[in-house]
Amino acid sequence: MISETLKRIPEYLLAILIIITLNFALPRMMPGDPFLQISGAGGEVGDAYTAEQREYFMAYYGLDRPAGEQFITYLGELSRGDLGFSYYYKESVSNMILRRLPWTLLLVSAATAISLGAGMALGSFAAWRRGRRSERLTYLMMVVFGEIPAFLVGLFLLVLLAAGLGLFPLAGAMSHYTQFDSYGAQLADIMHHAALPVLTLSLARTGSLFLLVRNSLGTILTRDYMRTARAKGLNERRIRWRHAMRNALLPLITRTAMQMGAMVGGAVLVENVFNYPGLGQLMYDAVFVRDYPLLQGIFLVLAITVLAANLLADLLYKRLDPRIAAEVKKQSTGPGIKPVGTGGRNEDL
Amino acid sequence: MQEALLKLKNYLLRIFILAGLLWSRLSPTGRAALLILMLLVLTALFAPLLAWHPPDVSSGPALTPPGDGHLMGTDDLGVDLWAMIVFGARVSIIVGLGTALLAGLGGSIAGIASAYKGGWMDRVIMRLVDIMIVLPDLPVMIVLAAFFGPSLSNIIIVLALFSWSRPARLIRAQTLSLKEQPYVKMAAHYGGGFFYLLFRHFLPELLPLLLVNMIRLAGMAIIAEASLAFLGLGDPTSRSWGLIINHAVNFSGIYFTPFWQWWLLYPWLFLTLLVTSLALLGRDLERVADPRLSS
Repeated sequence: MISETLKRIPEYLLAILIIITLNFALPRMMPGDPFLQISGAGGEVGDAYTAEQREYFMAYYGLDRPAGEQFITYLGELSRGDLGFSYYYKESVSNMILRRLPWTLLLVSAATAISLGAGMALGSFAAWRRGRRSERLTYLMMVVFGEIPAFLVGLFLLVLLAAGLGLFPLAGAMSHYTQFDSYGAQLADIMHHAALPVLTLSLARTGSLFLLVRNSLGTILTRDYMRTARAKGLNERRIRWRHAMRNALLPLITRTAMQMGAMVGGAVLVENVFNYPGLGQLMYDAVFVRDYPLLQGIFLVLAITVLAANLLADLLYKRLDPRIAAEVKKQSTGPGIKPVGTGGRNEDL
Repeated sequence: MQEALLKLKNYLLRIFILAGLLWSRLSPTGRAALLILMLLVLTALFAPLLAWHPPDVSSGPALTPPGDGHLMGTDDLGVDLWAMIVFGARVSIIVGLGTALLAGLGGSIAGIASAYKGGWMDRVIMRLVDIMIVLPDLPVMIVLAAFFGPSLSNIIIVLALFSWSRPARLIRAQTLSLKEQPYVKMAAHYGGGFFYLLFRHFLPELLPLLLVNMIRLAGMAIIAEASLAFLGLGDPTSRSWGLIINHAVNFSGIYFTPFWQWWLLYPWLFLTLLVTSLALLGRDLERVADPRLSS
């Protein structure tokens, strides 16, 4: 069981190495050199450095050394948490990222929790009422909402609820220049600002979780142990949540982790829709002023966060599902106790 | 000559019958989606005929509301919005089609090679697929687009690089069972090489599945292009819908003015229509292609 998880670790390490290598190689693959860009601050590319100055800076930043050596230096800096220096904001990239990261984490974790809850509730609702009109309507709504990209949903909500009805703030994560009477009031203000971005992200993510729960519950309901549970006279709620949902939970965890990449990508866009001061908005600003060190730092943090979430799900999955370990040992088990949810419609497409 | 004509006629007839068969199997939602898609494709094809104003230069006062010669009003530079929408449809469709073809073909060749050759090739390709699936694609695409410049062809290449993994996995699974078929084994025994089998047996056999998957790919590519354009990383020379939205949203105070009622609304509406109908059609076609999955 443990060895099986350990086998996946090289894969994650490889993915991280690919990301780091990409980060290292990209600026060096660009035409020209960084000093052309610095001297062209303000949009115009001019040659403000003389040849000697340029050589001096190349040596100063170590760009005249062989690429392998530069790569080792780069890895060393990364391991010390040094992500470089933003040349537009004139500040350490790690500091800037640390300041913005909490807001993004707030959005992503709240949206993950809400979409998981909503997906489970609606999915089990649909599985138990399959074929009825209320179920079909839920299904269609979920499919449509699941397919519209988050930033389009966000724009709609922004125009309707924030600009049109004035129920929510148009931008920002909290009210500035105001005194709060208590921490409670401040918390309420932060939640008020986060409501629409979180709602948008959750709406966009609930669809596929809903389909997964609905399909795996649909399979589980035909299993023998469900009949056994009924025969034992257990009440419906216990059957639903303890017997059925527990088994549907496993594929849900994998799916949630696999969606983390899409979730983070969605957060980047949604933050820009709502002008929410997280990493996504910082990324937009970095692109806008072509601040490459900042852009790369954010990218690295986002990518590693997503990979970490996936690793966590892998570990959690094996913890929760004793069948995995049993299957690895025996190699073959009866068809009745294979993990469910592998035949879902949305699984591989 | 006559023979070729007859062949063409037969071919067209077959396509016609297949299309009819397909239509009869689609659900009402799928049919509506297909109709909307066809309308949008026609719009893109006949863009110069449909727009009576140029899509790139000013043709009236800035920010005029819809009506009065401008069907959907104008933006802050006085460019006709309907013309931009109509020509923007071309960008979306080129991006969708280009990415779907590149990623679909590349992915399926990788998948077939992985399944057919097995061994180290299978292991390398599948590890790559696993890694591609975990990588957060939007941040990577933002970084790549920022570094390589947001031209349309660059965007298509980047999108294809990030979407070949799903068709590869799907096609690999199918090829694994296909390669055990007697006729494929027979062809290999008679000396058919990998490429012979690829073009003669695997690709034709897997084509329907691939086409269905390509609709998915096109939808995801269009969304990704619109997202990049929304972040200001669209090709500035091509007026894509995402770029119009980007300009509108960046117009300061747009939500306090009535301008969003056309400047933001119409590109949003068209993008949502296109993306949703592609997804619904793809979902329906998956059901038709694989009846096991029907609910």
